[in-house]
Amino acid sequence: MPEPRLLQKYAVLLALLALSTLAHAQGNYEIQVYGAETVPENSLMVELHSNFTADGEKSTIDGVYPTNHQLHETLELTYGINSWSEVGFYVFTSEQDGHGVQWVGDHIRPRVRIPESWGWPVGVSLSMELGYQRPEYSPDTWTWEIRPIVDKSIGRWYFAFNPAIERSLHGPGTRQGYGFAPGAKLGYDFTPVVSGGLEYYADYGQIGNFAPTHAQQQQIFVVTDLNVSPKWEINLGVGVGATRSTDHLIFKAIIGRRFDWGHHSAVD
Amino acid sequence: MISRRAALQSLGLSVTCASLPGVARMLALPEARRVAAQRPGAGPADYTLEIAPATVDLSPHHRLRTLSYNGQVPGPLLRLKANRPVSIEVTNRSDHAEIVHWHGLFLPSVIDGAVEEGSPELAPGATARYTFTPRPAGFRWYHTHTMAMNDLTRGQFSGLHGFLFIEPPDDPGRYDQEFFIALHDWEGHLLASDDGAMNPSYDVATLNGKTMGAGEPLRVKEGQRVLFHILNSSPTEVHWLALAGHTLRVVALDGNPVPAPQNVAMVRVAPAERVCAIVEMNNPGVWVLGEVRKHVQAAGMAAVVEYANRSGAPQWRQPSDLVWDYARFASPDVDTPASADTDTDAGADAGGGEADSPTPIPLVFESKFRGHGAMEAWTINGKSYPDAHAAPLRRGERYRLQFINRSKDDHPLHLHRHSFELRHLGAPLAGDARAAPRLRGILKDVVLVEAGTRTEVDFTADNPGDTLFHCHQQNHMDLGFMMLFNYA
Repeated sequence: MPEPRLLQKYAVLLALLALSTLAHAQGNYEIQVYGAETVPENSLMVELHSNFTADGEKSTIDGVYPTNHQLHETLELTYGINSWSEVGFYVFTSEQDGHGVQWVGDHIRPRVRIPESWGWPVGVSLSMELGYQRPEYSPDTWTWEIRPIVDKSIGRWYFAFNPAIERSLHGPGTRQGYGFAPGAKLGYDFTPVVSGGLEYYADYGQIGNFAPTHAQQQQIFVVTDLNVSPKWEINLGVGVGATRSTDHLIFKAIIGRRFDWGHHSAVD
Repeated sequence: MISRRAALQSLGLSVTCASLPGVARMLALPEARRVAAQRPGAGPADYTLEIAPATVDLSPHHRLRTLSYNGQVPGPLLRLKANRPVSIEVTNRSDHAEIVHWHGLFLPSVIDGAVEEGSPELAPGATARYTFTPRPAGFRWYHTHTMAMNDLTRGQFSGLHGFLFIEPPDDPGRYDQEFFIALHDWEGHLLASDDGAMNPSYDVATLNGKTMGAGEPLRVKEGQRVLFHILNSSPTEVHWLALAGHTLRVVALDGNPVPAPQNVAMVRVAPAERVCAIVEMNNPGVWVLGEVRKHVQAAGMAAVVEYANRSGAPQWRQPSDLVWDYARFASPDVDTPASADTDTDAGADAGGGEADSPTPIPLVFESKFRGHGAMEAWTINGKSYPDAHAAPLRRGERYRLQFINRSKDDHPLHLHRHSFELRHLGAPLAGDARAAPRLRGILKDVVLVEAGTRTEVDFTADNPGDTLFHCHQQNHMDLGFMMLFNYA
């Protein structure tokens, strides 16, 4: 019979593995650092997130498919309720040799922001995301996340910080409590159309008991945003994972189009 | 206080025109200049203005602190008589240097009220007396001419604006009652806009410093002819105004009578523009005089017009579109140049023999991207103030300013100390300006040039001295959209 200390060690390692797998599954469907702005009232933002893991996990772990060479297509629909709130809905899919195109899960994400008229020196909003994903793609099938969002534009520079806190509601990660999964972005406007920058994504594990570095998620993306029109959103990037638990090479693309809801005349 | 020099230097620009720090500096001015602005003490002035912070009640529930003239917004109506000297004493009780621009008047540069022209600023605590002979007759105004930069409570963002009416010697008085109306926007903050840059956006919009219902109704009687003098004192916004249940007969633009008065459903008033319109009060009731666009009226820009012995909720009839065309008020006679002031040298020159072959001065307006987190900078012919220059003007010569707007914004363009005549309006940049309708007879000192279009105006260089030309959007002029014309 193994010693209790050894059992404890195995249990911790297993939990960390589960946590990192969860982060793989969620993060690679929507790789985006949020800005504080919400979708305008009565507008619908339609976004397609396309993420391809060129070098990822190659083994099936606890029934979860490997991420290597998975192509994730995520449809995100976000509707602006008023000038300070929106609600987003996600449909996650995955395509992979041997598995075909699969529905992975759905999330819903309401968000509120501090109105511009309050005159805060930074943009601030708060989103909450709740959703389900199939066990073949995440051992934790029901998850919840709360994401504070802070951003600021100063001249050509843009900075955003998303110190997200997430929790598993169903699955092995439930026992881990609340995890810390921050994201950050630093951008620079080279021209009115072309911006470039870095995006950082991480999952440190349980708050108060961070995972060892090799078990954490640590990703850096080099990205460009193309501001071709106020109605379009284009974000392209390539990311590398810095730890053993992170997919090592990912290409991502976000293509978004805003649709105004209803007829707007010059006098509206 | 952010000085224009410091702000422009922060943009990497240099200043060649020194600003004068205050009254003390005035004593060093040449004799010819001293007659314009004097120290106080030579008996009571005809008018006094005090620049000081004031608490303004935009509504019973909305109070703000701003700079004002004599503690009120808009400032007091100064009713002057054309060609009769007047003295106005101004005291600055704010904590920074101020300057008053007498907008639309033909004044010497030193008193016009722009440091770029050599007018001295008024230091905090200082008093100066301005003595001048007002002309041309008509609806003018006065306002601060300081910078605001990123402080959207300063400059034209504040309450420093007021009406100035110069009565003509033979005012026909073909109206029974008159109202002066100022449209203004408050509590601005910078927002990312569709042009990819930050631009001011406002939470509150007022008519005569009050939101809808907060001020006294404009009381009228059936059968009256009421003359509305409408001023847009907004720092940046174009406004559309209508009186529900009535039409407005536009009789003057920027204070100058138009050759062809027309009835319109609404008026468009760009920043610094004025429209004078007569309304026949022939539809008894309680009506809304308000901004046509729903969101601006909802922000407060409206007032109640109440007929005698009528009561009830004010009625509004929402127009379905925005309609305005300067050309409607032009003269059908294409051969007769206009004159703002035919009893002066200005008018005599305007109709000179060179009227049909004015010297062209092309002015190309473009923006300079400074990041999505900043307001755009502006250039005229590729350069920002103070580097933007035009060839010196020759006194008495007639010029054609060719405004070529290559930016994504509309610009209310203002020429100091002169009036100009609209000639070609709103031609697409790709086309020939002369393909646009040729106009005569509309004299203005501000014209709105829409994005991606070309407009041409003529003026006569009949008022020697440095003459400032700029976009009247506060943030645009602050960020380089100015140029100084010099006379040879």
